[in-house]
Amino acid sequence: MTTHKIALTVNGIQEQVEVPSNMTLLTMLRERLGLTGAKNGCAAGECGACTVMMNGEPVNSCLVLAVEAEGAEIVTVEGLSNENGLDGLQEAMIEVTGTQCGFCPPGGLISARALLDRNPSPSEDEIKDALRGNLCRCTGYVRILESVKQAAKGG
Amino acid sequence: MEVVSSGLPEFEYIHAESIEQASTFLLDESKDSRLFMGGTDLFVQMRAGARSPSLLVDVKHLPGMNDIQLKPDGSLHVGAAVNLNALARHEDVAEHYALLAEAAQSVGSYQLRSRATMGGNLCNASPAADTAPAALVLGARLIAQSGKDERSIPVEAFFLGPGETALQRGEILTRIEFPSPPKRSVGRYLKLGRNAAGDLAIVGVAVLGFPDDEAPSGYRFRLALSSVAPTPLLVPEVENILSGETMNDERIQAAARTAQQAAKPIDDVRATADYRSAMVEVYARRALKAVWAALRRDN
Amino acid sequence: MAEKMKSPSVPSPIGESVPRLDALQKVTGEAVFTDDLQFGADLLYGRILRSPHPHARIKRLDASKALALPGVKALVTGDDCKDRFGLYLKDRYTFCKDRVRYVGDPVAGIVATSERLAEQACRLVEVEYEVLEPVLDPVQGAQDGAPLLHPNLKEYIVAPFIFPQHGSNISNYFKLRKGDVEGAWSKCNVIVEGAYRVPHVQHVPIEPHITVAKFDHSGNVTLWASSQSPFAQRDLIAGSLGISPNRVRVISSFVGGGFGSKAGVSMEALAVMMAQKVPGHPVKVRLTREEEFYCSFVRQGLVSNIKIGADEDGTLLAMQTEFYWDAGAYTEYGVNITRAAGYSCTGPYDVPNVWSDSYCVYTNHPVGGPMRGFGMPEIHWGIEQTMDQVAQKLGMDEKEFRLKNCIREGSITPTGSKMHALDLESCILKAAEAIDWGKQEPASAPHKRRGKGIAIMWKAPAMPPNAGSSSIVRFNEDGTVSVGIGGQELGQGSHTVAAQIAAATLGVPMDSIRISYPVDTQYSPYEWQTVASRLTWSMGNAIREAALDARRQILELAAEHWDEQPDDLDLHDGQVISYKSERSEPLKNLVVYGLPKEDDSGWRGGPIIGRGMFMPNYVSALDPETGQGPRAVVHFTPGCQAVDLEVDIETGQITLLRVSSAFDVGKAINPDQVRAQMEGGVVQGASTTLLEHLRLENGVPVNPNFTDYRIASTVDMPLKTIPIIVEVPQDDGPWGARGIGEHSMVPTAPAIANALADAVGLRIHDLPLSAERVFKALRDKEAAT
Ligand SMILES: Cc1cc2nc3c(=O)[nH]c(=O)nc-3n(C[C@H](O)[C@H](O)[C@H](O)COP(=O)(O)OP(=O)(O)OC[C@H]3O[C@@H](n4cnc5c(N)ncnc54)[C@H](O)[C@@H]3O)c2cc1C
Repeated sequence: MTTHKIALTVNGIQEQVEVPSNMTLLTMLRERLGLTGAKNGCAAGECGACTVMMNGEPVNSCLVLAVEAEGAEIVTVEGLSNENGLDGLQEAMIEVTGTQCGFCPPGGLISARALLDRNPSPSEDEIKDALRGNLCRCTGYVRILESVKQAAKGG
Repeated sequence: MEVVSSGLPEFEYIHAESIEQASTFLLDESKDSRLFMGGTDLFVQMRAGARSPSLLVDVKHLPGMNDIQLKPDGSLHVGAAVNLNALARHEDVAEHYALLAEAAQSVGSYQLRSRATMGGNLCNASPAADTAPAALVLGARLIAQSGKDERSIPVEAFFLGPGETALQRGEILTRIEFPSPPKRSVGRYLKLGRNAAGDLAIVGVAVLGFPDDEAPSGYRFRLALSSVAPTPLLVPEVENILSGETMNDERIQAAARTAQQAAKPIDDVRATADYRSAMVEVYARRALKAVWAALRRDN
Repeated sequence: MAEKMKSPSVPSPIGESVPRLDALQKVTGEAVFTDDLQFGADLLYGRILRSPHPHARIKRLDASKALALPGVKALVTGDDCKDRFGLYLKDRYTFCKDRVRYVGDPVAGIVATSERLAEQACRLVEVEYEVLEPVLDPVQGAQDGAPLLHPNLKEYIVAPFIFPQHGSNISNYFKLRKGDVEGAWSKCNVIVEGAYRVPHVQHVPIEPHITVAKFDHSGNVTLWASSQSPFAQRDLIAGSLGISPNRVRVISSFVGGGFGSKAGVSMEALAVMMAQKVPGHPVKVRLTREEEFYCSFVRQGLVSNIKIGADEDGTLLAMQTEFYWDAGAYTEYGVNITRAAGYSCTGPYDVPNVWSDSYCVYTNHPVGGPMRGFGMPEIHWGIEQTMDQVAQKLGMDEKEFRLKNCIREGSITPTGSKMHALDLESCILKAAEAIDWGKQEPASAPHKRRGKGIAIMWKAPAMPPNAGSSSIVRFNEDGTVSVGIGGQELGQGSHTVAAQIAAATLGVPMDSIRISYPVDTQYSPYEWQTVASRLTWSMGNAIREAALDARRQILELAAEHWDEQPDDLDLHDGQVISYKSERSEPLKNLVVYGLPKEDDSGWRGGPIIGRGMFMPNYVSALDPETGQGPRAVVHFTPGCQAVDLEVDIETGQITLLRVSSAFDVGKAINPDQVRAQMEGGVVQGASTTLLEHLRLENGVPVNPNFTDYRIASTVDMPLKTIPIIVEVPQDDGPWGARGIGEHSMVPTAPAIANALADAVGLRIHDLPLSAERVFKALRDKEAAT
């Protein structure tokens, strides 16, 4: 199997990686770049734990080939916070106990960030709709929704 | 039972330079080549061992593949690689083809739809394809290219069976064309799944209705179904039933029954044929009523 | 040196909703889960070849082609297995020796340089099977003449409180007889009987099982596992290898959801055996989502027969239950679930005459394990629907009926012990009020019907009588504290509660506490397992003991130094203070370096380390013939849920409008976290009620993936969840606390079923209440009338 040299930006950093054709974006992030924030929960695009931002839109990184990310801008959960501090969503999630086991927030936060980017004051139904691809087995979603509402309020 | 692998099998990946080049690869008998768009169907099938192409051909980046264009005659051209979110939020689609946007948004989750395409949804030819009923009632045509040859396939002739389409080997769907929708038309796509939203359809019903002075009833309705037959299904009889006489609840009920009779559902893990059949009637009635109510409101 | 005493400035953190200690790590992606650990180039991967048959004999196994594949490093089969192992009943080998007993049973393990290669090699292993007749139903499986899954059952080593029935498929029979049931029926004015079925469901942690195992060259084993039971794994795995537990080290990072599935040993043992073949190499084994559904643990299926009688005043007189547990091929926990069901068989009711038979039955189904509720959601499904019908037959309000008959302090439990203090009545009243019980409310559309239902529950930690906890509290140079625990953070918030307990006992601010983590059996103090909703209570007691021990040492040191009595001293706000002399000293000045004696003649004190343990010593054995005994369990947490729903009568779809939960948790150490457990439990409960069913067709799972095994997502949650805390302290809990983690999903299913019955007058006895099932029941009912 041939490999492909790709160049991309991950969390603002330019990266060059050589990847086999069948490597997913998720595996590349986790195993080649050591960015283990995004999680492998089903490898089938169902659970959303692997959600990352690709050129400004959330995607299931388990269903994207690494070679397809050539030239792309990727943001993972690790890229949500920076020198200036946490994303408002992260702050809100801490404040309202929006996480329990912690396995789904890396994906859920990316979906929520994308939602607030395109719709800064979403309704409850819009939040549910935007997050329906991020399964959580612990929280019952109550405090996840609360976090997004709170972050939206905070602007 | 199928043992599902942890990852994708091995294959070569080609970033095609042109549609012509891509179809050359697809025509090469020595390779089991496959085209893909978002891969949201294909990769899942590959991991499950249902397909194992040796070469994946990527054409998403080629000119026109990502375009959405409203033509001066009111028709809409959608590139095969347009993802479902881009489709749903496009201003012209939202304004003139709200049914299409609604159908697109019923698919999976938001992050899935940033990759999943309408082209892939149709070419995968699942009976459950959510954009197919909308394409059927809107009278879409599928533009397929092989080498330099292009042909236009009416969507009613596109689906041949589960996973089977009218595309020939080497043919690539480049674009979906929608004729200008009838004036003042209203559409709805209603989908029943196990979850309140986001599941594959147990039953899907698309209805397009519009005022028509030539019809004795003053309206015309088109109805198509997903997930209740080997292919997505247009039910042309509905149009006859509802254009003939004055519209009322009984006519709608009769049309819904007709849809129910047209359906050829099977038992699967999502639902039994029996339940599907009953739900076709309920969902067809609800969709027709919703559209009729909107038509009376708007007109 | 002594500073002036400061006025108290740190309020006790007990009862405060302090933020989760792990939240920052978890929202930044920093929290480390087992698959996130880096192992470098030596890492190998293991994959498992599994049985495609529910029941078969292995006639021949040839792996030569697999081993010839470049990159394949090792093969493990049943031939490599020494002894049978298991938690309560040692009934399985890590890899099958001569017989496979469920679809997914491990037949061979391959170690290779990549997962993909290991999988390819698995496909090259040739196995010839002789298919055997399977047992696919627990009732049939329990009958004489059923094909036997474990013909050698009588040779298996078993815990003293488990009673396998030799020559049958019954791995445990729990029998309970209290009062005179036969005599009581004739005194009943109302008797309701019914059979209820619960299908297999899976825990569905979002993190699938994963283990990395490594043998070093001296034969010591290290296991990095996503685990609820590092110590139990150490012990069981050592046993299966025939080595000392001291040579097995289990390190467990954060766990991405457990719900029971990561308790005990499931796939971890496979990784260990594979690693044994390649000393020096860590071997990673992770289950795919598909495997997760049927190869780790599932919740056992249940067939229950329930009969309940009451007199004309609505007083319960008698209750008879029969439980057939579809335990699957082996029984890591199933035998004890069977027992828990038996001693909890009445649900939270005061019933004078009780008869129960609970059978754990081997079937050729996936292995049943513990799942949130440990048998209680399953038995309450039938009990609480039957209770509703008894009330309705009597013409009593369902809530009033429960208030009249529910367990209270001093009631006699089915096993004959006296109930401790608790307040289920308040739970019932508050949960009911929260959904406006008794008020008829309109449905939102003509094709919808609205209904309200209620269900109550109880659950005790189901564990061996001597399940212990321990803790080590160490002071650091700056007066901060490292709290060593062996309990796991699964998301339930145990770290935060542990820190609150330590801080409160030691009189130091919350931010002075650091929980020693990850759990590492080489350094962490012993903890039986993170199961049974027992950590806040049991581990909490151990931490409190350890902190008190450290506190005593500090007070004695300061007392000697000041020439005062320890009784006059206290710890507060990071200082040791004297109420008598009003002296104070920051802890940092004495907890590690000690204190100099006055005359420079030397030093006193030294590093402060407190040790604490807790093990209940009052749980007694039960009579095998009657199930009676002085004290069957440590305590029961009771609670109530009330549901307000709408059902679409044309489609059968149920929409949950409001679900209220009220549980008596003794004392909420962290109220926000308690409420979070209730919210999460409701949705997991609702999901298992409305959507979930691992479908087994002739023993073959047909929906082991998220496409066809749906769980609730955001769009399925109740429109409103209302968590309510009731607090009547537990005599032996820290500050009176009892567990809540599991309880919150126990009554959800029957509460929904009871609300459905209220809406459309329909009783459904099988789960799930899928739209299709509800629709068909409505249609059948209509056809019948
Ligand atoms: C978690 C999940 C949820 C889903 N939910 C839904 C749902 O609710 N409703 C629904 O309808 N679907 C659903 N799907 C299926 C899938 O996402 C959709 O069918 C999607 O639209 C497929 O588009 P794609 O671009 O990903 O197709 P791909 O996977 O790229 O392609 C699908 C097939 O079409 C062929 N093909 C693709 N493009 C062309 C072309 N231009 N010319 C010729 N052949 C082509 C490919 O060879 C392949 O066989 C779901 C999938 C997942 C993983």
